[in-house]
Order: sequence, then structure tokens, then C-alpha cells
Amino acid sequence: MSSPIIRRFFFPSLTRRYLLRLVVLGLTCYLIFGYLLIPLRIQGHSMEPTYRDGAFAFCWRPQYLFSPVQRFDVVTVRFTGRSVMLLKRIIALPGETVEFRQGKLFVNGNQIKEPYVHHHSDWNLAMRTIDPGHVYVVGDNRGTPMARHRFGQVRMNRIVGGVVL
Amino acid sequence: MKNRNFLILLAILLVAGGTLFFLPNDEKKIRRNLASLADYCSSSREEGSIETLKKAALSAKLCSNPCRIQVKSFNINRDFNKKDISDHILMMKKMLANTRFDFHDTVIDFPDDDRAEIMTTLRLEGKTKDNRFTDAYEMNITVTKSEGDWFFSSFTVVEFIEQ
Repeated sequence: MSSPIIRRFFFPSLTRRYLLRLVVLGLTCYLIFGYLLIPLRIQGHSMEPTYRDGAFAFCWRPQYLFSPVQRFDVVTVRFTGRSVMLLKRIIALPGETVEFRQGKLFVNGNQIKEPYVHHHSDWNLAMRTIDPGHVYVVGDNRGTPMARHRFGQVRMNRIVGGVVL
Repeated sequence: MKNRNFLILLAILLVAGGTLFFLPNDEKKIRRNLASLADYCSSSREEGSIETLKKAALSAKLCSNPCRIQVKSFNINRDFNKKDISDHILMMKKMLANTRFDFHDTVIDFPDDDRAEIMTTLRLEGKTKDNRFTDAYEMNITVTKSEGDWFFSSFTVVEFIEQ
């Protein structure tokens, strides 16, 4: 025999108070998961092994409201909206120079250790300077040929938020 | 009496809302054309050659003659006639067999009565024999009205990541 508490939990009576709670809960979920903590279903291999194809994460939009972007942050980059976004890692900030030599990353001429990179590559990219208001983003999976990997500098207003999980 | 008035008001609101929702307008026509274009460009493994030809021809029918296509990274910036478009879509469908095209986050702006600007994200999702791939592109599309119908008159791929 089930206790009245459990019965009430699974089969609540449709009182006005209950319906109000349901509406408030629905609105709160809509606001949180629609605007603040956007659920992401990862498709593709460009961020492996950090984020695998088919994995699940969240985009935390307020991350850069009060703090600047930092090197190694994983961010979402939008196209025209938030339904489809790119997941990338920031490797260089405005005014810095970036370069790849035999797969090794150099920022301002200094080699940067990238512990998150497991698939080493032979990427070569001549030195370039990041424009003001832009950041340089790249995926963690360097196992793919450079021509097939989407990376480069993007305007900061394209960054929707940081990635959690 | 109060209840009756409330019900009449609700009925009026429902009828007005329904009319607005189902009434055809330019934006809905353009969205329908975009959905049709995505459907015609998509291919499935079961799609036969005749259906592929038919879909390529139908895609071209949605475009104006000529139609401008700009893809900076491929050095494409020229006018295509309907035959060119049909041929290129046919070639693309052969290359991207078993691939689904979809438009997301579409915003339509009407600077003139007979011209509209679309900003949208094209998403591709396909399957090869042993792999799955996804890709996305931001696109600006111009649509022009001619004899009551809307036709795609230019496609530009927005390349917002610069190596």
C-alpha cells in the first residue's frame, strides 16, 4: 500500500495552487534552458577527445558578462542564431600573434603547451596577428587535415558563452 | 451573462488568431520555398536517378534567372542560369548522397515590397558507409518577387572565421 505522500506526488489533485506552481516551473525552465544555460548536443569530432561526438553539455551564457575571455576557454560560436553553434577553444586573444609549426602552437612567438590535444598533427600556419575585438579559436582534434578543420579568428560578438560539463 | 461575454470574446480572439496564423503572406511563402529548397537538395540512399533529376530541376525553378552565387573561399562570384544551377545541384546531390539539408534560425527582412533578405544557417547532416558528418554555413539569401512568386536571386556564404 503506497503512502499518501507518494500518491499525492505522482497523482496530485489539480488545484489552483498546483496549476500555478506548474506554470511558474515551466516558465523558469524556459528562461533558464532557453536563455541562460543552453543544452548542447555535440555533433562532430572537432573537439575530441575533450568533447566526443554525441556528448551532451551546456552553454553558460552569462560567463562573459562580467569577466573577459581567456586563453583555453571552450566557447560556443554562433551562426545566425543559437540552434546551430560551433564548439571551439580560444587559443589567442586580441593583439597576439598565432602560428602553428609542425602542429605546435606558438603565441607571440612562444610555444604553448596544449595538454588537451591528443591527436598530434603536422599543421603549419604562418604567423598572423589577431585583430582588435576578435579571438582565435580552434578545435582540440588536430588529427584531421588543416584544410578540413574550421578554425581562425572570429569577432567576440559571435561568442555566445562558455561551455560547462 | 458575464460568462457569455467572455466566451464570445474568446471565440473572436480564436478566430482572429487562427485567421492570422493560417492566412498566407509573403514571409510564409518565402519560408515554404526555403523548406522546399532544403528538401530538394537533400538526398536519401533510396532516391532514384529520375527523382534526383526531378529534384534538381525543381530546385532551379525556385531561383531567378540568373541567380548570383558568392562563396569567397571557393573563389565563386558569378551569375548562374537555371541550367547551371540544376547541373550543379545534381552534381552536389551525387557527391553528398544520403545528406539532409536544413535551414535554422532564419530571419527574413523586407527592405522593399518585391525584395527580401534572408539570414539563415544551413546545416548538413549526412552518413557515409561507416561515418557520420555534420557541417553548417551561415548564408545571406536575396529573394525577389516576380509575377506574384518569390524567387531566390542570390546566395552568399558568410565566412565569419578567417584563418
